[in-house]
Amino acid sequence: MSSFLLEIKGLTKKYSAGTIALSGIDLQVKSKEFIAVIGPSGAGKSTLLRCINRLVEPSSGSIEFAGDRVDQANARELRRVRSQIGMIFQHYNLVNRLSVLENVLHGRLGYMSSIAGMFSRYSEEDKKKAIALLRKVGLENEMYKRADELSGGQKQRVGVCRALAQQPRLILADEPIASLDPKSSAVVMDAIHRNCAEQGIACLVNLHQVDVAKRYASRIIGIKNGKMVFDGPPEALTDHHAALIYEGKESQMYQQPVGEEPQDRRYA
Amino acid sequence: MKIPISHKATRRNQRWFFAVMIVLFVPCAFYLKLSYSQFADGVGRIPDIVKQFLQISPEDLPVLLRELLTSLIIAFLSVVISVFLSLLLSFLIADTTAPNRWIAKGLRLIVVIVRTIPTTIWVLLAVASMGFGSMAGVLGLLFPTTSFLIKSFTAQIDEAGKEPVEAIRALGGTWWHVVFNGAIPTLYTTFLALIAFNFEITVAETVILGMVGAGGIGVLLQEYISYYEFAPLLMGILVVFLTLFALELMTNRIRKRLARGAR
Repeated sequence: MSSFLLEIKGLTKKYSAGTIALSGIDLQVKSKEFIAVIGPSGAGKSTLLRCINRLVEPSSGSIEFAGDRVDQANARELRRVRSQIGMIFQHYNLVNRLSVLENVLHGRLGYMSSIAGMFSRYSEEDKKKAIALLRKVGLENEMYKRADELSGGQKQRVGVCRALAQQPRLILADEPIASLDPKSSAVVMDAIHRNCAEQGIACLVNLHQVDVAKRYASRIIGIKNGKMVFDGPPEALTDHHAALIYEGKESQMYQQPVGEEPQDRRYA
Repeated sequence: MKIPISHKATRRNQRWFFAVMIVLFVPCAFYLKLSYSQFADGVGRIPDIVKQFLQISPEDLPVLLRELLTSLIIAFLSVVISVFLSLLLSFLIADTTAPNRWIAKGLRLIVVIVRTIPTTIWVLLAVASMGFGSMAGVLGLLFPTTSFLIKSFTAQIDEAGKEPVEAIRALGGTWWHVVFNGAIPTLYTTFLALIAFNFEITVAETVILGMVGAGGIGVLLQEYISYYEFAPLLMGILVVFLTLFALELMTNRIRKRLARGAR
């Protein structure tokens, strides 16, 4: 058992089409660390995060989370690991037809039996905590609204609350602000950063924008073509490093990716 | 010389198409021994038959209504049972929620086979094993109705995208959580609209299937035809028409309302 919260060794992911998304990633994460993963689109950031909770099956390498070998876990063990790892998505991944409060309470499903979850029998304690989380991000007046009635920034705050409702030890945030305008982005990043700091949650957040990464992170990891090319404190990330990571894709360094807001996404 | 204006390949295709159709028509007409004299005789009889048809008699109305109710109940029961079966099976088959790829493939194959066998055949099989009556109707309709619903449900599950499903999976939810807390709430109204549509088709089908012995109003219609009893037959056809018309109006309304609520 290692002293790290998360320890990844030699993580490699080959997709069946033959593309190598990750090759030989080694990464140790201590508890309470706030790590920004930067790199151009297609570098493998998203695959890295999804390998940690095995939404994507790693091809080889080992992943150890809080003493459990995630890569070798069976279905039941994997559920237990996942329940302790919150995840925030670029497209929020809320259940649009359900209320905001129900979406936050989903964070508790990992600790519930199939039957209790299916019939939404959340404990009053869980409900109180969920409402407190919504109040903290300023959404207490929207909690009975349907999730699809909210704006993008509000939806992502619901996503953050859902992850926090898990009372996780680690949060994986995959491009949490890539679909948001700068103002909402700041609100969302503040919410993630503040809550992680207060509750001692470690966080791995994928970001396009180097400036945002430098502002929030206690450590920055640069990924390019599936390999880790930078690992250090934000002060150590010089413009030279950044230019190297984004070589050929410089336009993505500071700009918001355009047109990623999924307007026509229909769940009907 | 005139200037051609059309797309050459398209025009060539059209010519070939019509040429083949005409060439095939002649031997086909001879094969079925279609004769003009038979046609002329038939046309001559039409006024007579129309006259007989027009003697609409409300005498059998109570029986017709009772059998209509039976038809509706047969349709309702088979749709309800099918909804339960297909709800469970759809989530085992749809790409985004299937727990096992091979089971999904196997089930998908079975559904395709069931679907390629026409409803009438299923009911005939059910009649052959269960005997005439409503039991055969419900059982026979179960197969095509379930496979129709499974096909529509799985298409909708896959179209809805994997996002909510992925979120529930990521936070440690079970397969049941993924289905009941993620997928079903997302698809609820779409499913209701599909079920309403399916009920409408199934009612229309029970009328016809009654004629092959599956119970309901179709049995009566079949008897009237056999004994040339045109007066009650017209009454029966009218009752069926009005029912299906009303049903269509109703389901259209339900679907419109659901579509509006969906946004």
